[in-house]
Amino acid sequence: MTPNQPPRIATWMLKHFGSGANNDAVLGDLAEQYQKKASAIWYWRQAMKAIPVSFVRDIRGNKWGAARTLLVGWCMWIVGGMLVFPLVFGGTNVGFAFDPNDPIGSFWSFMWMPALGSASIHPDGPWTTPLSFLTAIVLPLIVGWMCGMLVGRWHIVGQRNPFGIRVEQVRRDHQTAAVLLFAGSILLTYLLLIAPWVMIVGNSVAYLLAGLLMANIAGSVLGIVIGGGLLRDREKQKSMIEP
Amino acid sequence: MRKGEYLGNFDLMLLLALLRLGEDAYGVTIAQELEEQTGREVVVASVYATLERLQDRGLVTSRLGDSTPERGGRAKRYFRITGAGIREVRDARRSLMNLWKGLPELKGENA
Repeated sequence: MTPNQPPRIATWMLKHFGSGANNDAVLGDLAEQYQKKASAIWYWRQAMKAIPVSFVRDIRGNKWGAARTLLVGWCMWIVGGMLVFPLVFGGTNVGFAFDPNDPIGSFWSFMWMPALGSASIHPDGPWTTPLSFLTAIVLPLIVGWMCGMLVGRWHIVGQRNPFGIRVEQVRRDHQTAAVLLFAGSILLTYLLLIAPWVMIVGNSVAYLLAGLLMANIAGSVLGIVIGGGLLRDREKQKSMIEP
Repeated sequence: MRKGEYLGNFDLMLLLALLRLGEDAYGVTIAQELEEQTGREVVVASVYATLERLQDRGLVTSRLGDSTPERGGRAKRYFRITGAGIREVRDARRSLMNLWKGLPELKGENA
């Protein structure tokens, strides 16, 4: 008898965003229980709870690794952002207003340089052109991809099996949690910066630029997730053997 | 075990479930046992997260088992309680029994 197929999207999400050495066992257990329960709601509930549970467990069990992830990721984000964000705007600091007396304002103008910079190229508007959206997505996507790759690579852990062969079986054990932690910290920072930014620029400007800022945020997070290797096929990676 | 660290409620329930299940303790059977005994739904990932922590403390061991088509070809992970784990359960039971003694509020079912 062919086993019932559990919900594919929930399985895909758990497979790619679940962390820890036992993620495969969890997937197997859920698939086995699904044959008896046959409830998609139950499966979704279990899979969606498994992602934060395994994430918290991994971060709590590896606090120093988590701190290192944030440090490395943010250093790379600032360096990468300073190099890549102004590049498209002819090397000028378009959209980036650094003011030592206004650290928060300086910080949000740096974080949102792709969105604000692409808008300020055409000071009279229209700000929300396809090109400005493309810039607001692609630039943070590139920087996010670089940071995600560095954070992910930093957590590759090799182990030697009893025959002395180096096997990358635990390669993704902490990698997923590390990449998600960094992506979460970037997302949280963006969200925390929204309120002071709206207070400074006013509701009408904020409303006009909201789409570009959302594109900026989406590009950043997506770049980190792609660069961190979370969308790659886990099954293929597991079989990798290094001499 | 780290000094001064107590077993939590869920830790204790999991160790007892491992004792009850013996050799057949893996994610599905553990979750079913807990659900049957407590009447509450158990998140399978929480079972693993807690067992991993207990394994770090040396209270349980684990090994990979066989895989079946209904599991999508994924191997089972079997867990077993260690001697240190059994001692820890005994200590927890003794401590709880001492705390239980002489409490009139807990004598009746309606308390």
